[in-house]
Amino acid sequence: MSKSYDAEKETFMGIPRKQIPWWPTINYEKCDFCMECDKFCPHNVYAKNNDEKQQLIVKNPYNCVVFCRACAKTCAPDALSFPDKRETTNLIKKLRSENK
Amino acid sequence: MDKQLCVLPCNGLDKSLGVIARAVALNLIEKKPDFNLICPVLLNTGDEKYESNLRESRTIVIDGCMTRCATKLIEERNQKIYKRIFIPDMSKKLKIKPGTSLKLSENAKKLAEMIAKGFIEELKVSEKEDIVIVAKTERMDFFDITVDKFYFQVPKEGYFFNENDCWIKPDSNRALIGITDYLQNQSSDIMFVELPEIGQEIEQFDDVGSFESVKTVLQLISPGSGKIVAVNKALEEHPEWMNQDCYQQGWFAELELKDFEEDKELLMDGPEYFEYMKEKILKEKELLDKEKED
Repeated sequence: MSKSYDAEKETFMGIPRKQIPWWPTINYEKCDFCMECDKFCPHNVYAKNNDEKQQLIVKNPYNCVVFCRACAKTCAPDALSFPDKRETTNLIKKLRSENK
Repeated sequence: MDKQLCVLPCNGLDKSLGVIARAVALNLIEKKPDFNLICPVLLNTGDEKYESNLRESRTIVIDGCMTRCATKLIEERNQKIYKRIFIPDMSKKLKIKPGTSLKLSENAKKLAEMIAKGFIEELKVSEKEDIVIVAKTERMDFFDITVDKFYFQVPKEGYFFNENDCWIKPDSNRALIGITDYLQNQSSDIMFVELPEIGQEIEQFDDVGSFESVKTVLQLISPGSGKIVAVNKALEEHPEWMNQDCYQQGWFAELELKDFEEDKELLMDGPEYFEYMKEKILKEKELLDKEKED
């Protein structure tokens, strides 16, 4: 099964995916550019970059599956972080009640 | 627990974490001389002594990175992993940064020593707790759909689902949680599970554990909040139950629920999830067919 999604059309719990700010943030002070996260993520969230100081970037943030943090497990220097889960849950609840 | 234990490290010499995996194996052997050390390089040449050791023993694999070379060597042989040590997890847990040098730094030596020591302690406890709890199986009614060679089922009632393809089955103030047929199909043959700890407090959408196949590593994202009161230890011996019977024998953990009425606001019931899953599968099939055409 393919994992290529069209983020423009995607929703999560009935909310347009683009309204949910959930994706990894790379701490460039810690990242050693081993690219394990890029190799691991089946949703092409990450990409290699030519910039010497930022050889890894979050290229497709909306491809990231909301609440998934599996790539962080691959990161030995602990350079990946995600938004606060409770805040994201509350935001989804708020947007859902507004859409009712 | 009569079987002999084998230790298979990845021995990744080109990565600092692989070098630590090797050091952990050597530490384990030093502390437990009755463990059999398996060299992955010699094993790969088809060494019969190692092959028979693996067939007759329980295997502890030590992986340095997500390439999971040691795990793959076992999976290729269709054998089971008894326990796994994943160095990045242990480095985070023990809060020791091993550095990136291919030579063992002082920190890396300390990390290897502590992992081995902690692992042997853990092994003593898990040997005492070798109790298997199996969920009762009952007759269930399913919605189902077949797409190409894939067959997907969703229980009609009694279960609730999140959009991360995990289920929860409440029963008064307790609930079992697990993965859906869609997720088990996505992962293919599950070879290894990492269960949560009993007593752990879980919020809705926390990851409560992971499971691995040759293809990928996936997380179980909890549909409910509460405290872990039981885990399906039998999955350590029979991870394939998550594929074969994901809604019953393949349950992952049991929660003492905190506020299921609130959790339910962000969950789907059987008919809703079936529609959601069907749409997702058909969309993926459409994309796949399009890719084939291109």
